[in-house]
Amino acid sequence: MMKGAKAAVELLKQQNVEIMFGIPGGVLLPFYDELAQSDIRHILPRHEQCAGHMADGYARVSKKVGVCIATSGPGATNLVTGVATAFMDSSPMVAITGQVATAVLGNDAFQEADSFGLMMPITKHNFRITDPKLLPETIKKSFLIATTGRFGPVHIDIPVDIFHADITDEQMEREVKIPKPKKNLTGLLDAVKLLEKAERPTIMIGGGVGWSRAGGDIMRLAEMLMAPVVTTLMAKGSVPENHPLVLGVCGMHGRQVANYALNNCDVLLAIGTRFSDRVTGKLSEFGVKTKVVHVDIDSSEIGKNVKGRVGLVGDAWTVVNALISGLQMRARSATWRDRIIQLNKECSCDYNLKSEPLKPQKVIYEMSKNLPDDAIVTTEVGQNQMWAAHFYKCYGKRMFITSGGLGTMGFGFPAALGAKIARPSSVVADIAGDGSIQMVSQEFATAVENDIPVIVCLLDNGWLGMVKQWQKLFYGSRYMASKFAGTTPDFVKLAEAYGAEACRVDRPSEVAEAIKRATKAEVPYLIDFIIDPEEDVLPMTPPGMTSVNCIKGRCEWKGGVA
Amino acid sequence: MEVMMLLVYDQPGVMQRVMGEFNRKRINVETIVVGKCEMPERARIVLSIEDREKALSVMEHLRALQEVIEADLVDHSRHEAYALLQNREGICRVTGSVEEVDLIVKKSQPEKYVQAMNAI
Repeated sequence: MMKGAKAAVELLKQQNVEIMFGIPGGVLLPFYDELAQSDIRHILPRHEQCAGHMADGYARVSKKVGVCIATSGPGATNLVTGVATAFMDSSPMVAITGQVATAVLGNDAFQEADSFGLMMPITKHNFRITDPKLLPETIKKSFLIATTGRFGPVHIDIPVDIFHADITDEQMEREVKIPKPKKNLTGLLDAVKLLEKAERPTIMIGGGVGWSRAGGDIMRLAEMLMAPVVTTLMAKGSVPENHPLVLGVCGMHGRQVANYALNNCDVLLAIGTRFSDRVTGKLSEFGVKTKVVHVDIDSSEIGKNVKGRVGLVGDAWTVVNALISGLQMRARSATWRDRIIQLNKECSCDYNLKSEPLKPQKVIYEMSKNLPDDAIVTTEVGQNQMWAAHFYKCYGKRMFITSGGLGTMGFGFPAALGAKIARPSSVVADIAGDGSIQMVSQEFATAVENDIPVIVCLLDNGWLGMVKQWQKLFYGSRYMASKFAGTTPDFVKLAEAYGAEACRVDRPSEVAEAIKRATKAEVPYLIDFIIDPEEDVLPMTPPGMTSVNCIKGRCEWKGGVA
Repeated sequence: MEVMMLLVYDQPGVMQRVMGEFNRKRINVETIVVGKCEMPERARIVLSIEDREKALSVMEHLRALQEVIEADLVDHSRHEAYALLQNREGICRVTGSVEEVDLIVKKSQPEKYVQAMNAI
């Protein structure tokens, strides 16, 4: 027999939880009192949203469940963005919120919010425990659900009296089961036939490949099929971008050669991707000439956005290996492969831009060149994210972590902290914008307090850059609420005020040196890169349009309609 | 008119979760009946919606819910409608095929009525 609070901590330990990110509050005090006596490490962020992002970053690197906790009411509402971000990118998470006592639940008690209702549409599943005897099985089930089938966040709302209630040993030992994820490989033979007959096969991979750790198998399949591999934003880092068949990120700000392959292939093997609008552009014209084989672990994704010829339900690793064993080794024409490899070379233009003012491409170029082969890069959202996606090269053990689905500004910095905790031996750098970092700059306190030495590469242009770019391109340059008119803080001083180190760079010649210095720092390090505010993220396919309407800018693509 | 039948765990929050999927897909539910069924701690939800395409588009999302055990469309031959009608003479109840009930409700021009569908 033990109290609910102790039981909760014990159950987390049973689930191999080593670290939690959270902020206490009134209703969580019994839990925190027990947590203090356990060996679970606790990180105190300065805002609950960041607790969510840290757990998410930790999960994406460790592939283990990230656990975050917040108090009732405002704690839970603040956590919502962190959970929604994890949901959109299928990150395994268990989010716990405290709740007012069951006796007053529903009576608008102090710090009461309907967190159960709030979290429902942004979680894979959520629970509100109103009966203490269900506490053990609920916690066990949460971890199972988060990591079974398509990963995702699970939320548990625990009223404070549950922490005080008695839990019996029998309840603690009760085993739980959840249904196995459905598989449907009945179309496998059709898929194999389509791929064997394909003249211009292309493989498109999404976040599912990363979670399934199928990158190596994808490359084996690509070589067998002589097919180029195109990645979505979420798959960046799953396959080595220095391989001649890997074309990089596709979509709105994708590489032209990647979009060319998507638009000109005859059979598209799409694995672990949900065909987001940022990838497809105008949905009605995406893949009309293409036979699509869609592989996803989540049956509800098959046919949701793009109606494919064949749908296979299963995890990327299993299906890719089934395809490999189903395919005959035979001689194929190398025309398509050779053409794509040639175009891929031509698409790799030089972006070691030395002109002043400093160009963001130059910063990313130097990061690509100077970060170690096992570096983890996170990004915020906006121009910084798209420059990083387009110009940063991920290969070897490098990882790329970004909020692709929800597009959460302020994700990158806390996610970097979570990532660094998951893999302390790697250099972790957040590619940030001055808009995003101002949403979460308080986390320098968390980074310094817990000795988490991450690098923040701040692409500082004084604007909400992506908003500015859209206003420039689509709203007649009528800028509204996108410029920080002289009121941005001195970011170097800001970082230093928290005890981090920082420097400012505005010359192209100083970029590499600053990055090298930052990788050697033993404290959090911010580099304030003052970049050209006039620089846009190009190429760009405007929203809801096709590659014909692509705005190319500096890009010198000559390969035809991409 | 399509009729869908769901077998779910009978616990608080289930209806919110199920209806959340219809809400996200902007599907208006025409009628809905929920009740206990032959299995303990389970409930059946029978609901009808206008459009077949839409019904099919939400199906896999419903099946993905942890609390939904089964979700399927029900064959037209197994539908039944019923209605409660009120006018000056009092309250009248009507059951029968969908067409029959529609017709009676239309003809009798009640002051107040409610109509639903069920299936098994």
